[in-house]
Amino acid sequence: MRDETEQHIEQIARELRAPVSIGRELDARVMRAVRRLPRHARFGLWSRLITPRTVTVTPLVWGMLAAAVAAFAVLGAMHAGADLDRAAKPIARAFFPRPQTPAQSQRVQFVLVAPDAKKVAVVGDFNGWDASHAAYQAQHRGGGVWSVTAPVPLGHHRYSFVVDDSLWVADPTAPRVTDYDYGMPNSAIVVQEQK
Amino acid sequence: MSVAARTLIALMLVAPLALAQDARLSARLDKPTLIAVNAIVDSARVAKLPTAPLVDKALEGAAKGSDGQNIIVAVRQLSMQMGSAKRVLGSSATPDEIKAAATALAAGVSERDLARLRSASGKRPMTMPLAVLTDLIVRDVPIATATSLVVQLARSGVKDPELALFQRNVRADIDRGADPSVAATTRARGLVLRSSGSGNKPTE
Repeated sequence: MRDETEQHIEQIARELRAPVSIGRELDARVMRAVRRLPRHARFGLWSRLITPRTVTVTPLVWGMLAAAVAAFAVLGAMHAGADLDRAAKPIARAFFPRPQTPAQSQRVQFVLVAPDAKKVAVVGDFNGWDASHAAYQAQHRGGGVWSVTAPVPLGHHRYSFVVDDSLWVADPTAPRVTDYDYGMPNSAIVVQEQK
Repeated sequence: MSVAARTLIALMLVAPLALAQDARLSARLDKPTLIAVNAIVDSARVAKLPTAPLVDKALEGAAKGSDGQNIIVAVRQLSMQMGSAKRVLGSSATPDEIKAAATALAAGVSERDLARLRSASGKRPMTMPLAVLTDLIVRDVPIATATSLVVQLARSGVKDPELALFQRNVRADIDRGADPSVAATTRARGLVLRSSGSGNKPTE
């Protein structure tokens, strides 16, 4: 009985030790069979994109990523500023054609004949009615003629001359306005874009 | 919510209002006047009126040494006139048109005449015609005459440079002793003839 069992085991062992012959087309047959199987929806591209998943990032990696993004943004902003401006203009002009950017102000000459004046300044809506504004101090050109050429924003403005810090004089050559709220006259000027 | 948190939220809500107020006003007006002027300016802002002319009006008063009460009255009056002007000219009116129209109303032009001028001007800017109209009235051209002339010029399609030249010519004529009404009427007639005729450029 024991001999029979040992012989049987020996026979099985021989069979197991014998080399297994695998056909050359086995791989191809297996892959063909796999490809014939229906694709599982979970492994589709769209599923991969929309399926929520948990990503674990260590603080170190997270900090490095944040630093890299910040550095990229700063460098990008530094280099892109001029290029963006240069590149955006033709695109903007293509979509919104405008001949040119309108000027925001025009230089206007103010002239007052005041032979006895020691000082003449122009005040108005365009300089906050500030008689000490440096850009609006008239210069004596001789013969009692005072003048100053200064920028005035486009639009309608009221203004006046201030002589010797005390006397308010409307521009005799300009349109007048009925600004008697404060008891002293004003002039008006309409500054328009020069075409 | 803690007191500190409430204070912080209140400051965040008030900060934009404080920033919106003109620092020049704070520097030149006394506190009661400043509060009143800021209230008028805020009301104008809510009514979608231009606020810069109101600030300028207050600054003008301060520069001319006017007292606070006068400044408040002047600013309030301008605000009301700009409200009337906007009502007549419509929501498409520019801040300059509203400002010039308010000045014309202050000179005595009626809202009805303002509407006539709006209609005569079509879609062209009204700032220059309004400035010329105001100047004519200030130079003693009767309001009815001045309004009719400027409406007629606007209807004839007279352009702004020609209107400016018209104003200078009328002023020069008056300075030389001409009757204001006759000077304005004569110059306007010539301008209308030139505009509707050969199209030659006007000359002094």
